Amino acid sequence: MDLRDSSPSSTPNRDGNAGDDDGVLSVTSALAKDAALYFQSRKFAECVDVLNQLNSKKENDPKVLHNIAIAEFFRDGCSDPKKLLEVLNNVKRSEELALASGEQVESGSNIGNNITSGSKGSGTTTSLPASICASIIYADEFDSSVASLNIAVIWFYLHEYAKALSVLEHVYQNIEPIDETTALHICLLLLDVLLACRDASKSADVLNYMEKAFGVGNVSQGENGNTASQQSLNVVGKSSSDPNSSLISDVSCSDLAASVNASESPLSRTLSEDPLDEMFSTLDIGGQNLARHTGLTSANDLPKITVDRSISGVDLKLKLQLYKVRLLLLTRNVKLAKREVKHAMNIARGRDSSMALFLKAQLEYARGNHRKAIKLLMASSNRTDAAMSSMFNNNLGCIYYQLGKYHTSAVFFSKALSNCSSLQKEKPLKLLTFSQDKSLLITYNCGLQYLACGKPLLAAHCFQKASLVFYKRPLMWLRLAECCLMAVEKGLVKGSWAPSDRSEVRVSVIGKGRWRRLLIENGTTRNRHVDSVERDVWALGDDGQPKLSLPLARQCLYNALHLLNCSELSNSKSILPSDSSLEENELSDGASSKNSNYKNLPSNDSKASTMPAALINLNGDLKEPKGGTNQEGIQTFISYYEDICRRENQMIKQALLANLAYVELELENPLKALSAARALLELPGCSRIYVFLGHVYLAEALCLLNKPKEAAEHLSIYLSGESNIELPFGLEDCEQWRVKKHIDCEEANVGAAAAKNSSPEGLEDFMFLKPDEARGTLYANLAAVSAIQGDLERAHHFVTQALSLVPDSSEATMTAIYVDLMLGKSQEAVSKLKHCSHVRFLPSNQQFNKSS
Amino acid sequence: MGKKMLNFEEQCKIVNLLKSSSEQKSIEETLTEFFTNPKLRHFNVCYSLSLLLQDKMMLSSTERLVAFAILHRSYSSQKSAANPFISFLVNAACDEGAENYERAFILHLLGFGNSNSSKEFLKQSASEYIKKFDPSSQTFPQKEQLQKQYLEKAHPEPYACLLKSTAVKNVLADPDVPPGCDANSAEFDLEPGAKSKLGSGDRDEALSGLIANLSLEGLIPHWIRPLPPRFPVDEELVWLNPDNNHELQWDQGMCADTSRGAAVRDLIAKALRGPLAPNQQEQVLVELANDPKLVYHCGLTPRKLPELVESNPLIAVDVLIKLINSPEIAEYFTVLVNMDMSLHSMEVVNRLTTAVELPKEFVRTYITNCISSCENIKDKYMQNRLVRLVCVFLQSLIRNRIIDVRDLFIEVQAFCIEFSRIREAAGLFRLLKTLE
Repeated sequence: MDLRDSSPSSTPNRDGNAGDDDGVLSVTSALAKDAALYFQSRKFAECVDVLNQLNSKKENDPKVLHNIAIAEFFRDGCSDPKKLLEVLNNVKRSEELALASGEQVESGSNIGNNITSGSKGSGTTTSLPASICASIIYADEFDSSVASLNIAVIWFYLHEYAKALSVLEHVYQNIEPIDETTALHICLLLLDVLLACRDASKSADVLNYMEKAFGVGNVSQGENGNTASQQSLNVVGKSSSDPNSSLISDVSCSDLAASVNASESPLSRTLSEDPLDEMFSTLDIGGQNLARHTGLTSANDLPKITVDRSISGVDLKLKLQLYKVRLLLLTRNVKLAKREVKHAMNIARGRDSSMALFLKAQLEYARGNHRKAIKLLMASSNRTDAAMSSMFNNNLGCIYYQLGKYHTSAVFFSKALSNCSSLQKEKPLKLLTFSQDKSLLITYNCGLQYLACGKPLLAAHCFQKASLVFYKRPLMWLRLAECCLMAVEKGLVKGSWAPSDRSEVRVSVIGKGRWRRLLIENGTTRNRHVDSVERDVWALGDDGQPKLSLPLARQCLYNALHLLNCSELSNSKSILPSDSSLEENELSDGASSKNSNYKNLPSNDSKASTMPAALINLNGDLKEPKGGTNQEGIQTFISYYEDICRRENQMIKQALLANLAYVELELENPLKALSAARALLELPGCSRIYVFLGHVYLAEALCLLNKPKEAAEHLSIYLSGESNIELPFGLEDCEQWRVKKHIDCEEANVGAAAAKNSSPEGLEDFMFLKPDEARGTLYANLAAVSAIQGDLERAHHFVTQALSLVPDSSEATMTAIYVDLMLGKSQEAVSKLKHCSHVRFLPSNQQFNKSS
Repeated sequence: MGKKMLNFEEQCKIVNLLKSSSEQKSIEETLTEFFTNPKLRHFNVCYSLSLLLQDKMMLSSTERLVAFAILHRSYSSQKSAANPFISFLVNAACDEGAENYERAFILHLLGFGNSNSSKEFLKQSASEYIKKFDPSSQTFPQKEQLQKQYLEKAHPEPYACLLKSTAVKNVLADPDVPPGCDANSAEFDLEPGAKSKLGSGDRDEALSGLIANLSLEGLIPHWIRPLPPRFPVDEELVWLNPDNNHELQWDQGMCADTSRGAAVRDLIAKALRGPLAPNQQEQVLVELANDPKLVYHCGLTPRKLPELVESNPLIAVDVLIKLINSPEIAEYFTVLVNMDMSLHSMEVVNRLTTAVELPKEFVRTYITNCISSCENIKDKYMQNRLVRLVCVFLQSLIRNRIIDVRDLFIEVQAFCIEFSRIREAAGLFRLLKTLE
């Protein structure tokens, strides 16, 4: 530590550099210190001045350029992050170039000769804070880690998580040589990015690495009164049981010194006549040393250094604890999250605990304890802060949405948005302001809420805005497609039928008395959308927004499918590395990408992963926490989460294919509808509702392709006996389908409670056929297909059944009338028309008579 | 609204046509007049007429004849089989329930029998034709015969959707007459000037209404196409938590002192060439201990490791221990396992085994290399030396439980037996036996 504290300005002399360079070195390093001091005291204009002087002495030194860019950015009020990114990327590139070519940039030295060595700032140098002085630069090093970190910071604040991640992953691959302060910042940022990308397994890796590398276990032990957490940290403690890090180095130092002494003789005498005795003695010494060495097993761990703590030990501990909670919430490990958040609250005592409170509220929200969640949010402090209140309002909006109170949630979401816009007006800009602007995320929530309220145009507007952030999420595209379908259904799209037209049979009454004739108007199909097909799917409307249409829906669904397939591909990539032609890594921004990059990281193998071990320890009822099972522990917990993600993706895929088949049918592309429906039915573990839809769409497509026989076969799978149709799905399918995800795997009790709480709300907005109606649908469609095949008797039987189940269906009525007419029973057809509640009789328009 | 089959002009045309049929104009004249408009959509017009003809009551007898004539004339420039209404015409000609004059008229139109090219019958008006019709003069052929003659060469039906091609007429008669009355009786016809009574209606009004509203589409069986359900929302809502603050970092490396690393780097470079003096060695070890990151910057690469091992094994051990978490450590191990066996390499490995946990595969491979080195050495003296070294090394590993003997039992036993003449090998063999 002595060496560290010695001021760098004096070292050149001590190390006897060439006399010529002395002056320049001291001038530049003095200037560098001045600049750093100005920077620390946030006097950015002065800082830039000093840096410019420095730049004139050391032209094109990447580090000088880097710091100039940073200081100017702050001086200019953080207004242009893109420009900063550009400069930083150049710096990074030139540092990497320099590193690659191995040349030493000493361009300043010659110029420096001509400059008088009197430095203005030299007086200040001695009083520099240790954190600045302590930095050591290695001559071989053109280290771009700080530049990389800063680049990633900016991407992070701009919500460009995938870009931040790719920068950080690269640095993290080789994090060992990077100095601790930078490494710590890199790890913390990486954690935030990974959690934002919802990458559980990598987050766990990094968290685990950090607990070892930054000796958090030590810090926690001292202050830890809580027995539960004591237990949880035992494993951590074991690996780092040395009282403190300096002691480790002392021990290893003295030990090494001892071994230097001990080995001196054999080394010097290896060439002597009989070295064996000596060698034995060294080997034996090795053996005796073993006892001492076992105490040193932590050498196996990362060296623990008290980092120059811009972050104090407890703060870091709290931070990591909160990350842990976030990871557990992400992986929906509610029970463990509950304990860990409690622990976090303990650590946070006396500190700003708003983050912990929010997380606790999120936990209760996830468990379905909405009232408790609201209470916790209320307890969070400074709600006067615009950023905090926007988050607060947004979260309340989420809660009320889950309670089914969409209009209340709308109020909170719009409050949150107005908080955001007041945040943007705040001056001067802070870098944090960019990330605190969560308006796009809130806008996404708004979209969901509008969709729930049946306002597809507003919803689509929200999703389109939010797509700046969400464009890689398949679900976002599915929602946009749903907006299109809803808009078409509601007749809000040009060329589509008004909702009443779609469900009604329109009959013109022509003539009077004996000459009265009934003309059934919507004779064949209800799709008129083909007429409205636009060349450009993304054609903009008057408001500058893409017009909702069925072709747009189709495009969105294809986007979503593509994204989903990509993430599946990258999942299997670790197994099939040959798929490198599909370099879609970037697309797998979230959920499910595997940690193939992390394979060769040291933290991943041999060493005990303390974090999950602690988690398992806590859980107790999961798996044995002993010995080597830690790795398995984290594996089960991650793979449990990955299972959830896989299941969710499967659900999304089912929805996508069903919607696609529907849209293609609406657009009169039976061939494409056919393949979508086939793909849907081929999905493993397809839910019964989607199986039903798959069969219905597939049968219709086949029918449109003149294959009524095959169509009938598809519908007949629901036939039991000659002519009776079973329920295609039960009520439990609908319920399960709505509520399934509230149930936590190990939280049987809580899960059941949540299910109980939310099932009534869930079913409330379950806008789909009831099982009986689905049965009626099958009867009606079987009737149609039988009629087409000419089997009118069968058709008559089925359609009668259909009408008893879905008496309001205009389609079934029309089929019934068709069958009657084909059977020559026109009287019955007329009476059916007259009795159907969905028929509208219109007086014939006599425009002809008027004008003739 | 469904698409109307006829535009306004066409509607007028048809109404006028039907009106004129009752006049004393010859059929030929009527037809010529009708086809003067080049913009007429023949198919739509004909299809409308065919729909009206299907309603047996709607058209009067003269109107029917004119309508049939139009159906035929519209496509008369082509072969009869190409006429889309040819089967309609043939069916009408064979309809037993229809009036005979109507059937005969159609046969005439089709040019059935002798009256091949004679268009004489068209020179009279429709009512004249009916009046002059002599039922005995006409024989009615079988349907099959007609079909054979007129439909045989018909093209196979072009592709049409079954759902649509099975359509039936979507016009239903719904006579609004008092119960028990015959809707067909003329008593319900509206007398001009008479007071309208229940069930009465004006045929012309109904007819023009029909013509105005006819659509191309017939009635077909309808398919129920359920709208897929909206995807459930649960984890989808975005919950917001306060951010961690990540500040932009000042690069402390700017113009910083580069000398400290340099001293160790110089010493390491020296250490590659030969043993360091004890005080130099200590300086390296102390500085490496003081600055845990220094080891990454001391200029050592895996390629240089063998030299360091041979010249300064203790420094090599220290450096390797410190690099144990480096991503490059595997590379260092590979170099170490592949370098020539020597006292120093063995010493390094031995010390490493006691200090850190080495990959099992590495230790195994190293031992195998040791044994094969012993076997391959030619110089007896050197061989003896190396065997003794290896034996002591293995004993140390076994005693310290670094390796599990069972993994290497056969290999080591064979080695002991081969060199049983050497005292240490015998000792190792005894040790193995005690472990069995």
